Amino acid sequence: MSKIRIIPRMDIKNSNLVKTIKLDGLRVIGDPNKIAINYYNNLADELLFLDTVASLYGRNNVSQIISELSKNVFIPITVGGGIRSLNDALSMFKSGADKIAVNTAAIKKKNFLNNLSKEFGSQSIVTSIDAKKIENKKWRAFINNGREDSGLDVIEWSKRAADKGAGEILLTSIDNEGTYKGLDFDLFNSVSAQVKIPIILGGGFGSLEDLAKAKKMNVDALSISGALHYKKFSIKNIKKKL
Amino acid sequence: MNSLLKLKSLNKYKFENKKPKALYGLPPLVKFCKKCTYSNQKPISEKEFEHKAETKKTVLGLNHKGICSACIIAEKKNKIIDWKKRYSELKKICDKYRSRNGSYDCLVPGSGGKDSFVQAYRLKYEFGMNPLTITWAPHIYTDWGWQNFQSWIHSGFDNYLFTPNGKIHRLLTRLAIDNIFHPFQPFIMGQNHFPIKFAAKLKNIKLIFYGDPNSEYGNPDNFNSSSKPQYYFSYKKKEDDLKISGLSVRELKKKYNLTSGDLEPYLPINQNELNKSKIEVKYLGYYLKWHPQSCYYFASEKGNFTTSSQRNAGTYQKYAGIDDKVDDFHYYTTFIKFGIGRASYDAAIDIRNGEITRAEGVNLVKKFDGEYPERFQREVFKYLSIDKLNFNKLRGKFKHPEFNFDYFQNLTNRFRSPHIWYYDTKKRNWSLRNKIS
Repeated sequence: MSKIRIIPRMDIKNSNLVKTIKLDGLRVIGDPNKIAINYYNNLADELLFLDTVASLYGRNNVSQIISELSKNVFIPITVGGGIRSLNDALSMFKSGADKIAVNTAAIKKKNFLNNLSKEFGSQSIVTSIDAKKIENKKWRAFINNGREDSGLDVIEWSKRAADKGAGEILLTSIDNEGTYKGLDFDLFNSVSAQVKIPIILGGGFGSLEDLAKAKKMNVDALSISGALHYKKFSIKNIKKKL
Repeated sequence: MNSLLKLKSLNKYKFENKKPKALYGLPPLVKFCKKCTYSNQKPISEKEFEHKAETKKTVLGLNHKGICSACIIAEKKNKIIDWKKRYSELKKICDKYRSRNGSYDCLVPGSGGKDSFVQAYRLKYEFGMNPLTITWAPHIYTDWGWQNFQSWIHSGFDNYLFTPNGKIHRLLTRLAIDNIFHPFQPFIMGQNHFPIKFAAKLKNIKLIFYGDPNSEYGNPDNFNSSSKPQYYFSYKKKEDDLKISGLSVRELKKKYNLTSGDLEPYLPINQNELNKSKIEVKYLGYYLKWHPQSCYYFASEKGNFTTSSQRNAGTYQKYAGIDDKVDDFHYYTTFIKFGIGRASYDAAIDIRNGEITRAEGVNLVKKFDGEYPERFQREVFKYLSIDKLNFNKLRGKFKHPEFNFDYFQNLTNRFRSPHIWYYDTKKRNWSLRNKIS
């Protein structure tokens, strides 16, 4: 069994690293560049940068941060938030992104994922799915950073996204995000039973129990934000436990 | 374009109209605060029990630099106030009122939203008080509102949930939207007046704690006072002269067969009774620096507080004012009457608290303000309909007992002030004359 990749999730607003609870109530944490370098030095496997307000304001500010960061950081960087066209994607790759993550546009534009994977290769395309639980074992895919219901069932949408050429899924539980009450492994199991591509599970990481369960369930990767940003855990510690 | 709005009446809504009439006594010239997203059209909380259709609004003040009073107070909060001193003042008050045997020593009115969670929780666990929480029920609970209300109680509080008579509440709400386009008004009256009357009846609770002071939203109250001004919740005149839903109690009794008992929960306390009761009504936000976002964090961490499933209609956020399905329509009516929708209110608060910049706020207002609230429309319209089952005898008093989309549109247009709106006859749509920039 390969090791679980540990991926710090960096939510960005303007030039700041921010953190939310259930994807609302944005709070400034600090300078994303400094913090990312720290995570890199602490042996993060990859980094994930998401512009939290890109869809909201119709803009993306992350590319500048990435081009600065990629001079010093040599692990894969995934960038997302507000990518709506092949050009947007291209400019992210030019800035130094290794992969891009798309959510809103992948749902709203019918062939967007197909076109992205044709143009840049599946391995560089991550579908970001923000999942909100609506009943037992049923989740809805949300767009615009967890603000709006797309009407799509998460499991159905995961299958379709994989068919369209997404190389990975970033699966975030909105209900658990920022609560440290634990990852939603039900969500993970339901999706992983249906798709073959790797899943990065996120939203709610908060205890060693999460690590044990993730190991047991063969989770490919974990996206962790608050637990690292607020220094409840360090990457080194997490890796030791793995 | 609906049929009821005749061509003649459209003249006043022409774009070219140089001096469009301002309704509700609003300032004819719309000015936006330079720091936030409020405008000088924002009415400040008034004595709802004097509110008639003809009432002229008192509005938010802007100073000579174009900055509103809410922003000025926010600045004072950050710079001038000695919060340590106020914290110890609160301790002293609690020491004075705290019961020795654990019986109730203060009343905390609240909904179970993020702010009331913090009010009750801190008073109990930080200041050692024994609060009784009291709730005036929403018109129609949202699922997450009910869930939060339950979480609040289960974090360690007794609660008195008062649910007003559904038939009367529906009737008053319908009259309020018809007469003053303010569907939330009877609710606000009950929420403000009932807890104080309740405390006066109980006799042994002498201290009431509300959350953040109205002055933080632009009211010209004495910002250096810890007490809620008595004129908000007590009256001197005859009960029959008081107003609910824009009508006097006398009219409500005569025309709609309501009794004093029916209306009692909504009406303010008589001033003599209040003076006799020796109740103190305080703002916790005077003593503790109130920060709405921190309340959200606090309530999430300590009390399992949850957000609405999606962003609220007409705005971007999903954690404030989320327990009542009628709320969406409340903000829609403020957008129609004053040009200020829910995103304007939310962004103004977020700007003042440093969550977003004004430029971001302006973008959010442009994107979301005035969005038509579809999500609970069916339920709310049913709630506002004077149906046969419950109101058979009263149906004749309404031209349109059924509340439907067409009726709401006509009503909406009746309440548009020409100085805020113009109608484009070619595109057949309404636009704001003055947009925030």
